[in-house]
Amino acid sequence: MNLSILLWLPLAAVVAGLILPATEARFAALLGSAAALVLSIVLLFRFDTGKPGLQFVTNKVWISELGIHYKLGVDGLNLFLILLAAILFFAAIAWTALRDWERPRLFYLWFGLAESGVLGALMAQDLALFVIFFDLMLVPFYFLGGGWGDTPNRVAAMVKLFIYTLVGSLLMLSAAVATGVLAQGPGQPITFDLVQLASNARRLPVGSQEWIFLFFAAAFLVKMPAFPVHGWMPDGYKAMPLPVLAVFSGVLSKVAAYGFLRIALPLFPDAAVHFQELILFIALASILYGSVLAFTTRDTRLILGYSSVAQLGFITLGIFSLQDTGAQGALLQAFNHGLVVAPAFFIVALLAARAGGSEDLRDMGGIAFRAPILAVLFLIVAFANLAMPGSSNFVGEFLILLGVFNSKIVISFVAFTGVVLASVYTLRLFIRAMHNRVGPHVESREISLTHGLIVAPLVALIVGIALYPQLALHRSQRSVQASIREAKALTQPAREAQR
Amino acid sequence: MQTSAWLILIFPLAGTLINAFGWRVLPGKACGWIGTAAIGAAFIAAVATFIALQDRAEDQKQVVFVAWDYANTVGVDGKISILIDPLSIFMALVVTGVSTLIHLYAVAYLWKDRGYARFFAYLNYFVFSMLLLVLAANFLLLIIGWAFVGAASYLLISFWYRRTTATTAGIKAFVINVVGDVGLVIGTFFIFRHSHTLDFLGTFDSASRDFAGHQGALTAGLIFLLVGAFAKSAQVPLHTWLPDAMEGPTPVSALIHAATMVTAGVYLIARMHPLFELSPAAETVGAVIGCVTLLIAGTIALAVTDLKRVIAYSTMSQIGYMVMGVSAGAYVAGLFHLMTHAFFKALLFMAAGSVISAMGGEQSMDRMSGFRRAMPFTFVAFIVGGLALAAVPPFSGFFSKDEILTDIGARGGLWWILVVGGYIGAILTAIYTWRMIFRTFWGDPCPEARDLEEGHLYHPEAPFNPSNGEIEDNDVGFPGPEHMIAERSGEMKIAMSVLAVLAIIGGLLQIPFVTDALGHFLDPTFADSNLDLSPSDGLVVVGLILGAGLSLLGIWIAYVVWVKRPGTSTAVRERLHPLYKLFVNKWYFDELINAIVVRPFAWAGRFGQQTFERVVVNGVFVGGTTGIVKAGSAAARALQNGFLRAYAALLVLGLVGVALYFLLQSS
Repeated sequence: MNLSILLWLPLAAVVAGLILPATEARFAALLGSAAALVLSIVLLFRFDTGKPGLQFVTNKVWISELGIHYKLGVDGLNLFLILLAAILFFAAIAWTALRDWERPRLFYLWFGLAESGVLGALMAQDLALFVIFFDLMLVPFYFLGGGWGDTPNRVAAMVKLFIYTLVGSLLMLSAAVATGVLAQGPGQPITFDLVQLASNARRLPVGSQEWIFLFFAAAFLVKMPAFPVHGWMPDGYKAMPLPVLAVFSGVLSKVAAYGFLRIALPLFPDAAVHFQELILFIALASILYGSVLAFTTRDTRLILGYSSVAQLGFITLGIFSLQDTGAQGALLQAFNHGLVVAPAFFIVALLAARAGGSEDLRDMGGIAFRAPILAVLFLIVAFANLAMPGSSNFVGEFLILLGVFNSKIVISFVAFTGVVLASVYTLRLFIRAMHNRVGPHVESREISLTHGLIVAPLVALIVGIALYPQLALHRSQRSVQASIREAKALTQPAREAQR
Repeated sequence: MQTSAWLILIFPLAGTLINAFGWRVLPGKACGWIGTAAIGAAFIAAVATFIALQDRAEDQKQVVFVAWDYANTVGVDGKISILIDPLSIFMALVVTGVSTLIHLYAVAYLWKDRGYARFFAYLNYFVFSMLLLVLAANFLLLIIGWAFVGAASYLLISFWYRRTTATTAGIKAFVINVVGDVGLVIGTFFIFRHSHTLDFLGTFDSASRDFAGHQGALTAGLIFLLVGAFAKSAQVPLHTWLPDAMEGPTPVSALIHAATMVTAGVYLIARMHPLFELSPAAETVGAVIGCVTLLIAGTIALAVTDLKRVIAYSTMSQIGYMVMGVSAGAYVAGLFHLMTHAFFKALLFMAAGSVISAMGGEQSMDRMSGFRRAMPFTFVAFIVGGLALAAVPPFSGFFSKDEILTDIGARGGLWWILVVGGYIGAILTAIYTWRMIFRTFWGDPCPEARDLEEGHLYHPEAPFNPSNGEIEDNDVGFPGPEHMIAERSGEMKIAMSVLAVLAIIGGLLQIPFVTDALGHFLDPTFADSNLDLSPSDGLVVVGLILGAGLSLLGIWIAYVVWVKRPGTSTAVRERLHPLYKLFVNKWYFDELINAIVVRPFAWAGRFGQQTFERVVVNGVFVGGTTGIVKAGSAAARALQNGFLRAYAALLVLGLVGVALYFLLQSS
């Protein structure tokens, strides 16, 4: 199977859509994302779990002077994230297609470009290519938020987001260049191929590794976002249209977490071990800070936003436990969280539509009464979001915390408070929106068939993966172990010495 | 046996799904009957499994069935697997048996409620979860069942979700239960770290080898498991959710908050007994907390006036006995009490529900009196339950409570302190139980009772929330407009009669010097126990006499205080005012938890929201970039006015052009 087709199909479809009448542009985007979804499902079935390393590799020299290759590939690390991106983009485009947008051709053009950008960042197996796609995938969101956003100050919010991520991107770009140059062996051509870089990883002096690692980490942490570099998040989240936000929060933050596993750990193992505690503390602070803010804010979007900060904190925590279980749980959790947060944002849109257009919790209440189906869908999403045992999110969290427990026991104890707080803010959101007395402008009505057809399958996926998380775990195990092998090996002697 | 074992789980799950998806099409009481039949079928499956198990040889009575790999990766062996052994089947029989009767009661009790289908979907889901909990063969599945039970409890406490009191109670119960889940997970981590398996039997088999030299880890793990047990079983200090849980409909109180879910902690300790026996410290912690809980709850039950809350505190107290028993090694006795308690406590709740219906929803005993003649059936049921709870011979509670105390006494030494606590608790039990009965059924009939004697059931003018007196939204239709009392409902009568019979004869399974049927049946599970608690004959006889004497004394005290010399209770209350304040304010646990846990977090959240977010994140961290933002946004505004489209097109064209250039050049 040719990954380039999957990668460029969404963009090609929306470009073709430019020649359609404005009212029909949505169908081009819908078709493109549907085809990408089908292809990614085919990919899942044709993926050979028993085979180590990359599969379906496309490798072409792109810029020979700089050693940059157009190299794509799939392994256990990105398989399910590609699927996640394809699912969420299809759902979000379907959701946007239900209403009319101004300048629809342009709107869908950005949407399609965003999908191709995300898929590219996930599939890229060349560091330079990854950096390009990582930046490219953000561009459409500036325009989607700035041009079609929900708040009057949306442009300022997007500029803020742009500046934050630009700083991250520049750091990452310089770090990537430095990696290629410094890892270049004597008499060898320069290369950005991730597999080769990983095998040359020990050639990097530890001192260089450290600053390069920090640059990459900064870019990833901003994108997640993590505390304290989440300053763009509240305004940015409020500015984006909800379906756009669903993919932004569902997929883009995961690309950052994925970046740690794909790039930071295999390429800079010494630095990863050196800064393990720093990153763990940032993750821990994100969990606690995100959680307490999520249960004090009254804005339903921001509850989910801060909840994402906390959940991404858990994912980072798992990766930097530098244990197989933690990293394995983190990758599963990345998939789970995307699958949960997207329907959650769709539900926020439905709630606002029933609360007189307000997204404030104080204007909600009692929505469940005439909307039992909506209430059930929301309830399942809420339970999954708080990682109730029985959900796949719990399996992810269990593995993450087990990893941290085995490497840094005290940090795991503090992180457990985040588990309890998650139940507080999630149930608070559910109860204050759906239960209690009817809010002043609330008009309770059932979820419409079309909206139901988008949310219900996502909820069904949540239930499905809850019953059989092994589906994902089984396929990612080998790659995850390979990703953290070097770093983990470096932590072992330290522990032996302590004893 | 494999089929029947899985069917125990499948029937309740099927019931849940049928009621959940059929809510719009199922007519009349169909939802209720489907729910009841599902649990009844699970009971039959449990009986079938029980029979199959009995046919096996004594050392073949612990069987594991695996369904599929759940999270079997990187050294973690998470599987969907169930363990069938005498203990799990005993629990399954009690749970399904009592649940069937309570479902039957609920068929009538909630009949006029708008949420009828939802109620039975939840109730079946609860039973499914509880069965998952008791049948789980590994820690992961145990935790799942554990949390599902908590979720079902939350859903049912908040069942009448328009009441803010109900939703508040629901979230409180859920969060405290999550604290328990976390305890369970941490405990599992500690144990898994050395056992390297999540499987129960695997862990137990090698426990003495795995934990040799890791005594500290084992004790820490077990204490965290106990945190889980305490949260679910409402033991001090994680008990505050249980009285509030009485916001739920009465069948829920009977099923979840008396007969089944709250005994999960007892089951957990009994299940983990091979580990607890390796750690005397953990055993002691469990037993002491059980004893403290039974005394504190007993004193509060003396002071509160809400009928259901008295029974709730009584539940806490009785579970204190069980936790104390199983922690001290009196496994069979603790489980025996679990079973008899399920019978008589469910019966008491059902009878209380009937009285509350007759009061039109009012739960305060201050307003009740003289229901003796108005509700003869409920009265008899209440008396039977009260005698069993007060442990009057030969009712079931007598034998089970007695066995716990004499078994602990057999350990001797400092364990005697706990036994003395248990006997003090026994007197308290008899007093508060009969205080409740005398205040509700004796005396001059209250207006509601008089109405009923004349043949009509009292209805308040507007439906109101008994907890805060708020008038309900009338478009909601729940709680339903009609109230159901046992005297007028066949289903409720049948359920209560069966339970009354069981409350009377349930003790016959296990009578000192006569029969040891339950102990013999459970033996394969506890065969590996190193503790041998066989109290001497003399101790047993003394225990029996003392127990009977104390319960009769307690009833007599209650009779004197509340019937013979009315006014005594007011006098005592004034004489012992500080103590009364302490009891009626529930020992100030809610206030304490509020002050040391809830408020700091809320404060941190407000601080983050109002100060940190605004000043630090938006001010200092991006202080230098604010200017850029302003300049940038001006530029972007300019672009937006018409240029945006052109700009965007340009950008895409540029990117494509660059890409093409390099593509062409490279080939």
